[in-house]
Amino acid sequence: MKSKTFEKHSYTFMLLGLMAVVLLFFTALKGGMMWKGDVWLGIAMQFPEYGVVTLGLMFCFICGKMDMSFMALGNFATIMAVMYMGAHADSPAGGVILVGIAIALGIAVVGGLINGLLVAYLDIPPVMATISMQLVWTGLSVALTNGNTVKGLPSLYTDIGHTYLLGFLPVPLLIFLVIFAVAWWLLQHTVYGEKLYMVGTNIKAAEFSAINTRRMVIGTYILCDVICCIGCLIMISTMASAKADYGTSYVMRCILILVLAGVLPDGGMGRIDNVLIAIVTIQIIATGVNMFPNLNTYYASLIWGALLLVVLVMSTRMSSGGFLRLRAKKAAKA
Amino acid sequence: MSEYLLQMTGIDKSFGGVHALDHVNFAIKPGKVMCLAGENGCGKSTLVKIISGVYTRDSGEVMFEGRAIEKITPADATRMGIQVIYQDLSIFPNLTVMENLAINSEITANRKIVNRKRWEQTAREALSKIGYEIDLHKKMGELSVADKQLVAICRALLFNAKLIIMDEPTTALTKKEVDALFKTVRQLRDSGIAIMFISHKTEEIFEISDDVCIMRNGKNVFLGETATLTKKDFTYYMTGREIEDDYFVPTNISKEPVLKVEHLTWRDKFHDVSFELRKGEILGITGLLGSGRTELALSLFGLGKVHSGTITLNGRPVKISSPIEAQRLRIGYVPEDRLTEGLCLRQPIADNIMLSSLKQLTRALGMIRHQELFEKSNEWVKTFSIATDDAHKHASTLSGGNQQKIVLSKWLNNDLDVLILNGPTVGVDIGAKQDIHALVHDLANKGLAVIIISDDLAEVVVNCNRVIVMKDGGIVGEMTGDRITEENILDIIR
Amino acid sequence: MNKAALKRMTRRTEFYMFIVLILLCVLVQIKSGGKLIAFPGIFTRLNVTVLRTMVVNGMFAMCSLVVMISGGFDLSFPAIAALSYSLTCTICLNNGWCQNSPVVGFLLAAAIGWVLGMLNGWIISNFKLNTMIVTLGTQTLFTGISMGLLALKEITSTLPNGFKTFGKLYILEGVDGKIRFTLSAMVIFLILLCAIVSFILNKTMFGRALYAIGGNEVSAERAGYNVKKVKFLLYSSVGALSGFVGMIRVCMESQSIPKAMVGREMTIIPAVILGGASIFGGEGTVFGTVVAVAIISLVSNSMLLLGIDTYWQQFFNGLVILVGVTVSALQAKRQKQ
Repeated sequence: MKSKTFEKHSYTFMLLGLMAVVLLFFTALKGGMMWKGDVWLGIAMQFPEYGVVTLGLMFCFICGKMDMSFMALGNFATIMAVMYMGAHADSPAGGVILVGIAIALGIAVVGGLINGLLVAYLDIPPVMATISMQLVWTGLSVALTNGNTVKGLPSLYTDIGHTYLLGFLPVPLLIFLVIFAVAWWLLQHTVYGEKLYMVGTNIKAAEFSAINTRRMVIGTYILCDVICCIGCLIMISTMASAKADYGTSYVMRCILILVLAGVLPDGGMGRIDNVLIAIVTIQIIATGVNMFPNLNTYYASLIWGALLLVVLVMSTRMSSGGFLRLRAKKAAKA
Repeated sequence: MSEYLLQMTGIDKSFGGVHALDHVNFAIKPGKVMCLAGENGCGKSTLVKIISGVYTRDSGEVMFEGRAIEKITPADATRMGIQVIYQDLSIFPNLTVMENLAINSEITANRKIVNRKRWEQTAREALSKIGYEIDLHKKMGELSVADKQLVAICRALLFNAKLIIMDEPTTALTKKEVDALFKTVRQLRDSGIAIMFISHKTEEIFEISDDVCIMRNGKNVFLGETATLTKKDFTYYMTGREIEDDYFVPTNISKEPVLKVEHLTWRDKFHDVSFELRKGEILGITGLLGSGRTELALSLFGLGKVHSGTITLNGRPVKISSPIEAQRLRIGYVPEDRLTEGLCLRQPIADNIMLSSLKQLTRALGMIRHQELFEKSNEWVKTFSIATDDAHKHASTLSGGNQQKIVLSKWLNNDLDVLILNGPTVGVDIGAKQDIHALVHDLANKGLAVIIISDDLAEVVVNCNRVIVMKDGGIVGEMTGDRITEENILDIIR
Repeated sequence: MNKAALKRMTRRTEFYMFIVLILLCVLVQIKSGGKLIAFPGIFTRLNVTVLRTMVVNGMFAMCSLVVMISGGFDLSFPAIAALSYSLTCTICLNNGWCQNSPVVGFLLAAAIGWVLGMLNGWIISNFKLNTMIVTLGTQTLFTGISMGLLALKEITSTLPNGFKTFGKLYILEGVDGKIRFTLSAMVIFLILLCAIVSFILNKTMFGRALYAIGGNEVSAERAGYNVKKVKFLLYSSVGALSGFVGMIRVCMESQSIPKAMVGREMTIIPAVILGGASIFGGEGTVFGTVVAVAIISLVSNSMLLLGIDTYWQQFFNGLVILVGVTVSALQAKRQKQ
């Protein structure tokens, strides 16, 4: 029985092993510096931004779809929100912020709906549909801002990105944890999560089993884009502004994290706990590289790429058992 | 020089601990059609792969044209004149017919530059071998399966083939196309080519073959002339047991029809189809490929179109626009293609079984009852004796028969009035086949209305109390009780 | 040309794209009052600019096209180009090479690209992994190497003279009012490359192998192609080509900026898809790709003439691609039925 559990979670163990190797590596080179409280506070401050976005994209991947448009859409949505907030600077900040957030999320819903309709009703391959939408949203953002940075966020809003609750809990991390909990609950405990894995594995079989697959696809795109938009809302808070090309590197980074975590875009695969491990590992690498004053941030990129390739090659050597999801374990206990 | 083209004696092959081939003897003469028959997993494909050089045998002797052959690689096999036409035909749908015909020989000749003129010449030469004509510049993907098959045959002939192996070539063909194919096969045979024909359809084997080799569990249990075999012997050799046909006897037919279909039409697919179905009945719908039988079923399940006509369920006219609607109206459908339409292979057995009845497992806030999912599916695993020790294993770990049981239980977990089974035992071994038939009889006698769509006439005859025969999209005959025989159905179909 | 051939032609995406291009040309010509094509000289400031933008995009599109025909999806070619040209320029600068002739630089860039492409080829052909994910990994890795490990700097005014003068070769000069315009000699490279790629795709067994593998990889293997070898060759040559194209860009811009290529794949790949290549492989032509690139270049360069603010350029580019992609998807759907 023991070996079976190991086999089922071999992928998680491998990821944890990787994380340990990374930590050891930086500890060996930098000694105790890696284990200072500040370093870990920094890590906790930095990863939520793209961590949230990754969680959104994860839903799309499990559904067997791809989204390339989420950052472009998120940027457009936040630009609109910031424009609104800037224009109503004299009104009470609390209300303005709430309306601004509502505007951004509303646009994300529309964007997700369009992606979903293009994919589910017009049968456009997801990569093609969402690359096109990415160009459209970026184009709209550039057109409305002339490519400039949009400022004018209330200071109350920009504080969100820099505040530590109780002195140690960054607000972005709190938001990330809430979304992680919701996503975990959705995937592991709801009928939606159950259907999502099945639709992602074989959409035709799901349709033949009386599941409304089109609704699932559209709903998943909306969910994905809304969560991604929340990530962008965190981002503009730390940046104190919005722009058409903020965080464009996140698209590739999120895909990289998900693939590293075994959430492949083929659909129906991967577990959310592995995604968390992957996100944190990626951030540890970035933070670790930053501790060397003579290395620039692109060193992290080098390690990420190498890591992804190594994991990919290793995973071809492993049984598919590694991609089993958390739920299988839970039910086995019962 | 021996009279045999290819002679294999005492062939052994193991994979890991599994003995796939156990002292198999095989021999084929030039100018003969040899059928290789057997249930799924009997070692047919392993044998073919050893002949074509994909696998290497563990032991045994191979003689080709009287010479002993030590080791065969795929390239050797081609040089010796062995050509395999796989079930998927190995064609390139995005290239033209001409390219499909010529590309293999161009590669073999190790050419680097494309010469359209030579390609066209090669292609014409290939077509002329069986006197077949087709537009060379058409894209392969636009051809019908039968045309694709003929192109594949022509391509094989370019290599001066002495032995052509055809893997289940009739699966996706209509009767007319099968006849045309057989004509070509005979033509090839008469020109001295040996043909190895892999099939599991009894009628076809008796129609086309001179010799037959029957395999079971990795051994060949019969090798000899087809003429010396009766159909009964054949079934015995195939399955290893005397099959007692357990005919369906309806005991519980309702007076009122539960489903009434009137003048149903889906343009270009089927037209003016009318029939009634009562509770407790098993209605067979048979017909050749392309007769509209599958499309009719899809329309009843909300996946097809209805241009005109009405469907009445329990006395009320209904519109079935989607599988969700069909499920609400208590109609279930077990699809034709288990792997692509029936199962999520990479997911656990339990989740597959409960896929269409997730509503039952929903509690507050859209949460799912995991425990119940597992328990319920375990009940089905027990009832159906699905061969697994753990319902958390992936559906892909099961054999075809057990997979089909999953798809069945997926629908039986719902309260149904009508259950439509499309090809319920395709690719299912004989034991599971009998289990499934017995279960369907039982369900019907408990008051379920069942439709079996199948081109396996024996299955229809044994399991149905009423049969509708379709041809070219229309109903051409209906028979009940003792009138249902294979001969009667064949008379109408042809 | 017989009827069947005509019918086949009208069913192709390229055919429609070509018509769209012609209509667009007519529209721009009329709207701008004859600024697109001059009579009798043909060349104007506008069409020369369009051609100029087409050079690098068109050549990169060829890289993307051949991979897509084989059923792959390459995200790494801009990163390969960036690493190759930045490294080449740095080496040339430090050694004082290429002051007169740029040839050594081009060879060096192609060689570096070739080595990088080999990594793609090795992983993809040996481990049968999703090409998009592998090239995402190599893209990240190569960007890390060029900007992290090697920390290659921007080279602008100190760029070796050989590159600068090479980039300033013109095959045509003209005057539009008081403004002088020039047609870069690099256009020749685009035409040459298109001809070569077209020849390889249609006239060599290697080219047919790409279509065959894109159509059905298993069949290609059975037919006797060494699929592993073909893929390795494909990705390594695309790497070499990317390095070469990157150098062309450096010459035309007279500067080498390592960051300039980031995200380029996201504008090139849609154009290739617009030109009729299928992301499922086996489809796509040089002609279609060039037409699509021409449409996009024309749209982005004639915005002002059509009375549209230049900031809307990206939006219209996106719209053109969205419409093109949707139409071809609908067409495929209809054909299936």
